[in-house]
Amino acid sequence: MKYKDEIIRSMEWLSEKDDTIFLGQSVLYSGNAIYNTLSTLPPEKMLEVPVFEEVQMGMSTGMALEGLVPISCFPRFDFLLRCMDALVNHLDKFQYMTEGVWNPKVIIRTSIGAKFPLDGGIQHTQDYTNIMKDILTEIDVVLLNEPEEIYPAFQKAYEQNGSSLIIEWGDYYNEK
Amino acid sequence: MNIPYNLKKVRDVKLTETDLIEFEEEVKQKYEDAEIKAPVHLTKGNEKELIEIFQYVHPEDWVFCGHRNHCQALLHGVPRETLMDLVVRGRSMSVHSKEPKLYSSSIVGGTISIALGSALALKRSGSKRRAWCFIGDMAFETGIFYEAHKYATNFDLPLTFVVEDNNMSTNTPTDETWNYKKRDIPYGVIYYQYERGFPHHGTGNWVLF
Repeated sequence: MKYKDEIIRSMEWLSEKDDTIFLGQSVLYSGNAIYNTLSTLPPEKMLEVPVFEEVQMGMSTGMALEGLVPISCFPRFDFLLRCMDALVNHLDKFQYMTEGVWNPKVIIRTSIGAKFPLDGGIQHTQDYTNIMKDILTEIDVVLLNEPEEIYPAFQKAYEQNGSSLIIEWGDYYNEK
Repeated sequence: MNIPYNLKKVRDVKLTETDLIEFEEEVKQKYEDAEIKAPVHLTKGNEKELIEIFQYVHPEDWVFCGHRNHCQALLHGVPRETLMDLVVRGRSMSVHSKEPKLYSSSIVGGTISIALGSALALKRSGSKRRAWCFIGDMAFETGIFYEAHKYATNFDLPLTFVVEDNNMSTNTPTDETWNYKKRDIPYGVIYYQYERGFPHHGTGNWVLF
């Protein structure tokens, strides 16, 4: 299967779980590439939210504390930087701060913005994968380079303890 | 202090102001004896307000706090010995508990969106429980508070913010930085003012570690 089809397959698998919920901007309404991987899913599993990235990340953490598994979608890596406090100081430090008492599971999806056929420009196409691998101590950071890596990565993210940051290549939606 | 009309008393608080004061005095002594190798942020001056508020906090509710959290933890049901153990082990700034549900963070405003998410999940599950988020006066002024409060209000989420206003953000007067003459208190927020009886952190006495 192709890159985008593997992501759709993964999202469909996740949507079959009772405890999952998908949230972000353009999860229910078209507007970005991530939407095109969610459009076949049941609308009741979707939570369209305002543009408030830091709140979205903290909100995802809080929902996970109550037993949900949020798939929190940030359409571009550049936008994810807007929630660094909620991501780095909180979600990523939860196990340490609570001595393992709380271990919220959030699956974060983001994408390195595509440069072809349109180049989104410097604020929409950056790859911060290595920085995230350096700065995050508890969250599993996964970069999806090949189609065959995708489904196992989301399976692992759901089945393991703790949170994951899963990074897609926007350009591969069409290339691979 | 205003208590929103939709909240009902659900708990008979047994702890007294003296109990809370004595706990903090014991922490103070241990800190000054250099038994605690981490900052402590002690409560003094708002015991009465906290006791009144916790009459409305159900034992199964979520409580989110900041760095000054000892009294909230005690009032929510964290055993005295458990809390003292956390504090002595240097965990005062991240007091936590599974039962009762409590999480605290020492980043200003850091718990606000987490509390929002827990309230959203509670509502979606049909639970009768709610989330309580205790914040200081400077966190109250942050943008994330207004985003979260707006979202919680518009979606009628079971989330109550409690603003504990001592007009100090560490040692910076909050009203001066924002040039406030009078603060507007948004709908549903519990707000009270008090004068803190301890410094921002520590006890006010020199400690040789």
